[in-house]
Amino acid sequence: MRDPRRTALLCCASLWAVVAPLSAATPTFDSDIQPLVEAKCVVCHGQGSPQAGLDLRTKASILRGGKSGPALVVGASARSLLLDKVVSKTMPPGDGKLSGDEIDALRLWIDKGAPANAAELATASGGDSGPLTEHDILPIFQLRCIACHGKRKQEAGLDLRTVASRIRGGKSGPALIPGDPVGSLLIKRIESGDMPPAELQLKFSVRAMTDGELAKVRRWIAAGAPGGPARETLVVDLKSDPLVADEDRQFWSFQPPQRPAVPEPKVAALVRNPIDAFLLRKLEAKGLSYSPEADRVKLLRRAYLDLTGMPPTPDEVADYVSDNRADAYERMIDRLLGSSAYGERWARHWLDLAGHTDSEGFGNHDVPREFAWRYRDYVIRSLNSDKPYSQFLMEQIAGDELGDYRNQEVTQGLVDRLAATGFLRTASDPTDAPERGFIAERMNIIADEIQVLSSAVMGLTVGCARCHDHKYDPIPQRDYYRFSAILQTSYDPYDWLPPKKRQLDVALESEKREVAEHNAPYEEKIEKLEAALAREEGPYRKRLLDERLQGLPETVREDLRLVAEVSGDERSEVQTYLARKFARTIEITGPQLKRKYPEIAGRVDPIEEDLQEAKGKLRPKPHIRVLMDTGGTASGSYLLQRGNPIVPVQMVEPGVPSVIKAGLQPYEIKTPYPGADSSGRRLALARWLTQPNHPLTARVMVNHVWLRHFGHGIVSSPSNFGRSGNPPSHPKLLDWLATEFVLRGWSIKYLHRLMMTSTAYRQSSQVNEALLEIDPENVLLTRMPLRRMDAEALYDSMLRVTGRLDAEQFGPPSEVEVKENKEVVSKPTGNGYRRSLYVAQKMQKPLTLLDAFDLPRMTPNCIERRQSQVATQALQMMNGSDVWEHSRYMAGRLIDEIGPDPREQVEAVFLRALSRKPADDEMRDSLASLKEFTEIWPTRLQKDRDPAPVEWKSRWLALASFCHSMLNSAEFSFID
Amino acid sequence: MPRATDYQPTSTSPRRVTRRDFFSRIGDGVHGAALASLLGADLFLSSPAMAADAPHRVFDLAPREPHFEPKAKAIIHLFMNGGPSQVDLFDPKPALEKYAGEVPLRDMATDITSPHESGGLLPSPFKFQKYGQCGMDVSELLPHFTKHVDEVALIRSMYGEHFNHEPALFLMHTGRTVATRPSIGAWVAYGLGTENRNLPAYVVLDDPKGLPINGISNWQSAWLPPIYQGTRFRSEGPPVLNLDPRPDWPEGLADAERRLIRCFDQAHREKRPFQQSLDGRISSYELAARMQLEAGDALDVSKETEKTREAYGLNDALTHSYGKRCLMARRLVERGVRFVQLYIESQIWDSHSNLEKGHRYACGKTDKPVAALLTDLKQRGLLDSTLIVWGGEFGRLPLSQNNINAAASGRDHGPPGFSVWMAGGGVKGGSIYGATDEFGHNAEENRTSVHDFHATILHLLGMNFRDLIFERHGLKERLTDQFPARVVSEVLA
Repeated sequence: MRDPRRTALLCCASLWAVVAPLSAATPTFDSDIQPLVEAKCVVCHGQGSPQAGLDLRTKASILRGGKSGPALVVGASARSLLLDKVVSKTMPPGDGKLSGDEIDALRLWIDKGAPANAAELATASGGDSGPLTEHDILPIFQLRCIACHGKRKQEAGLDLRTVASRIRGGKSGPALIPGDPVGSLLIKRIESGDMPPAELQLKFSVRAMTDGELAKVRRWIAAGAPGGPARETLVVDLKSDPLVADEDRQFWSFQPPQRPAVPEPKVAALVRNPIDAFLLRKLEAKGLSYSPEADRVKLLRRAYLDLTGMPPTPDEVADYVSDNRADAYERMIDRLLGSSAYGERWARHWLDLAGHTDSEGFGNHDVPREFAWRYRDYVIRSLNSDKPYSQFLMEQIAGDELGDYRNQEVTQGLVDRLAATGFLRTASDPTDAPERGFIAERMNIIADEIQVLSSAVMGLTVGCARCHDHKYDPIPQRDYYRFSAILQTSYDPYDWLPPKKRQLDVALESEKREVAEHNAPYEEKIEKLEAALAREEGPYRKRLLDERLQGLPETVREDLRLVAEVSGDERSEVQTYLARKFARTIEITGPQLKRKYPEIAGRVDPIEEDLQEAKGKLRPKPHIRVLMDTGGTASGSYLLQRGNPIVPVQMVEPGVPSVIKAGLQPYEIKTPYPGADSSGRRLALARWLTQPNHPLTARVMVNHVWLRHFGHGIVSSPSNFGRSGNPPSHPKLLDWLATEFVLRGWSIKYLHRLMMTSTAYRQSSQVNEALLEIDPENVLLTRMPLRRMDAEALYDSMLRVTGRLDAEQFGPPSEVEVKENKEVVSKPTGNGYRRSLYVAQKMQKPLTLLDAFDLPRMTPNCIERRQSQVATQALQMMNGSDVWEHSRYMAGRLIDEIGPDPREQVEAVFLRALSRKPADDEMRDSLASLKEFTEIWPTRLQKDRDPAPVEWKSRWLALASFCHSMLNSAEFSFID
Repeated sequence: MPRATDYQPTSTSPRRVTRRDFFSRIGDGVHGAALASLLGADLFLSSPAMAADAPHRVFDLAPREPHFEPKAKAIIHLFMNGGPSQVDLFDPKPALEKYAGEVPLRDMATDITSPHESGGLLPSPFKFQKYGQCGMDVSELLPHFTKHVDEVALIRSMYGEHFNHEPALFLMHTGRTVATRPSIGAWVAYGLGTENRNLPAYVVLDDPKGLPINGISNWQSAWLPPIYQGTRFRSEGPPVLNLDPRPDWPEGLADAERRLIRCFDQAHREKRPFQQSLDGRISSYELAARMQLEAGDALDVSKETEKTREAYGLNDALTHSYGKRCLMARRLVERGVRFVQLYIESQIWDSHSNLEKGHRYACGKTDKPVAALLTDLKQRGLLDSTLIVWGGEFGRLPLSQNNINAAASGRDHGPPGFSVWMAGGGVKGGSIYGATDEFGHNAEENRTSVHDFHATILHLLGMNFRDLIFERHGLKERLTDQFPARVVSEVLA
């Protein structure tokens, strides 16, 4: 069926010309702009060798632009560099800035299509008038047509990607006739508004061609539809790169780390390992030394919180205190590194860097990522097994390319390797909804993934080069697009896969069986309930349908009745059409039925409730959320002017930033494995990054680990090792650690052991006025910092201390629930609560307690946490429901385990919460408060007419109040 | 029984005593804000980790000097979610009558979200008339607003980039269509801090009926430190989550616990001299106690006179909810809150169909309260120091949508041209800036981008958008990012 409105679409173009003519006041280059640039700009941007390669003397040379790309985007002043510069008064330098009127004229000129002269203004064709080639047209096809006439689909047999396939055309004949735009089918169908079809535009996230684009296609066909790119692909020759000089590559972080000699400080007794040698050398140079060693139990608590995110239990404290062996401390560190809690704690740190969440974080639905937990589990397993960092990276960047996963036996190893690619799947991706799947969104997702990769792994800010050459680092815009071309074969903006299609149906047999077994009884129940529902509703549905059909002509009634009876996939073509056309008539929802016949609610509601409940119990069929190479021929990658997806400038090849070259094998793409239908682009990146002498990989990781043990990084800008970042406080130490890390097989646990067994780490956190004066920010590590637990450590520690921790590992997360007062808490399991890592990380529903304590938003990731101290934290700790609930639980358990003696109770609470016994005065104050609490509680219990014996319950709740106070104490949440 | 005041520290440092002294005086309440500003950063102390993390700076909510002396000290942002229709409210287009039913040109068609539902040009069902000395054309839907047109600067040439709510909301709040940047409220809190530290700097009053699209991300601080994110104050029930002591607790228990905690914490601090974060920690518990008093009082509209309550429409079911939030907004800026943002029942402006009914309802709900807010602020002499901003994430297309019959017709989202208005501190009343084309579709004259809009708001609050900078990854981040922007000086007084 043709919609008459579509045909009329263009008929009213003439009407438009009448009511909205191009304003007579539109400036042209010759009469308005040329005098302006002549007066203000061409002194520098004129004859000879113009500044930044930009010549502003003609319209053509302005369009051609300079080093930073074209100076303007025709029709879009807001995206035009030229306007940006004059508006921000960056240009012209010195006096002689443009006046408001002049800027307005320039803005208007650009927005009106930048006409060169009156003649061009009259024809108003827009755009430049140089010869067009396929290169100019392909991007338009990619934007508007390829979704249905390209690699994935060839609707009506048409593929628009190559010269031959265009001429060959499809079912209706050749798509175009070179030299004859009027006779070309392609033009006719676009002009008539048939293509892209209005009803499908949304589904495929495609928009109609603009008039300017259509004019361009017409002109190209008129010129004979010449093939081949006019401007060659941009190839970067590392030996002589005009945009990145060898001096640029001399910057310290772009040179491979050199292993320094370990210095010999004067006080050898303090040197437990080379870390101390480097640190002390610097301290001694300033006449300083370390602070004394921390108290033994404080050190124990620090180590536990650092490595496991939770304090030791009283038994663990007692064991450690009674261990008199010389290496008791080292043994304790090894024990902690061997515990499963280690992997959970440090997975949190890595998941911050990756930006992991369990929802897409977009819109109100905050679409859940059903299988994101597999990536979380992969990280935990990898850390616990001390997987070499090089392999860890390799799997996360290119796990799908490490072997033929399609034809391999499914093992835990394979599942892990594929789940690992979740690392590059953390950007918020709204494209499951087609109206949010347009090219701009796709480009944003790719930009976010590049941000994750470059900030977390490379310590570089590549993102700014998306729109212009990097202002500080030698990363030209070109290199952003070369880098993003590495992802093009898995995130192809012109051949997009929404999240739903980025899941692999790969799972261990055991898991499939487990899920099937789990689901079987519910499925059976659901089937029965649905049948019951149909029985109850059936007669009413028929009645309502009959009533609705009354309003329609006799002729279609019977057909529609049939359509309603046949299920969706069994319908004939005509029936499918009718079903769509008359959807509002034949589709009857449950609520509609209930509104119409309220009497059925009594019978239907209980069935629906049961149904809902049973469905809620179903587990989804196991899948893995992955990033995979889509194989086949890759679409072209373009440098986009100012990052604008509809202004492609030049084709680029995949590559890594040209500035990182020293001592490295170049980035080289190879077939990943024999017979692979996978580009190998990401695998090549992973290989390039994990070369032992890569200037950034090891340094950046060592710094991440250091920062989390010592409170700040050796490079205090952990995501920026570039020129605008901060230089390392101890460059030699950083390089020694980086080379040592690689020498020890990229072992992360080795790094922990090295750092934590240093004398530096074992220092006390006590500080005095002199130290504050000399080393206010503790850059020299004259002491350990006093730190507050981060959100997760606080949450998990509370669970551990109060006995509420369900230590179950791995698997789908605990869901969150929103309480009546809007507080977001975790749902309990049968055994308490899982640690925060295993609670669904919902972007729109962060756990209230974590949120109060500076839980970061993954935008797209978080390199380093920030801490604030604000009143809402106190409110949450004092009045929030979970802290109180845990306290009551703790009190109950204490009474059971220890009995009614207040003195013993107080001692137990101190031991559990603070890992120490109370001092005499603390015992005195605690007992007094406990007594006070015991006196306060009965008032409430009596008022509520609580059925429990008041005395017994008051003692319990008083102890709960005491536990609650203890969890609220500074000592509980601060780490010495 | 341990009482904090009884607790004699074994060692004293002059620095600590002084600060504690200050705390106790701030606790008196009345002089709180003034003293707090004297104390500067000391009240909101950061941990040493944070200090080290930035050679940089300590992040707090201490009031900070603007770049230049502004008229407006606070802002109330009346966010109209869903996209109010410019051609039915502020931007009359007689040409729509003349060409009613005609279908649009291709370039207009590319702006339509749902091409298959789109119809022809749709005239406004509402009558327009000129009001005030300035002669501003306003629709019959806003009878209360029309009395204030001489205080209002209307911008008719706003344009956005995206035709969907989510990206458009992000654009309007953060300057980009993506979810990864800080909201303007967070930027303002970061730039100016707050005058009253017993209350948050940036308060969000969302509709009790539900969160707006994009939920809490609308007021996120993203990579700005979390203290700058918007704090939701609820207009029903306790205003702040867990503000009040637990309802299942006996009276006096919270105080008794607090005494014990203070006793523990002071002892803990005595043993750890020179750790600023521990002072901050103690003060944050004290502030929490004061916030219980202050926030409850700030939002207690029952303390208003009957006349005021009536003016805001609190006695009418239709206007009650929004009226209450407008009144709360006034009470908050009165107390020194910097940025108050109001949201409205999800999508009441989003009239894809039944435009006439939908917009009548939305205006009925908001017109009287908004006008009352303007009147009230003026009467109290606060309008000169408060900026009011009204607008949604986009406007609507001049075309009909879901064109089943005239009365049921609606309009699709219209980002290419729409209207917003400002009033109050520093705004040139009675001014009209920019224009859309014949049909109210595309902003044509004096096009105003969202970045221009943001730059103008910052300017009115005394900040230069180029100088409000946050260093991140070594880059200087701004609200307007790297986009060209200009302060719309034409709407400034």
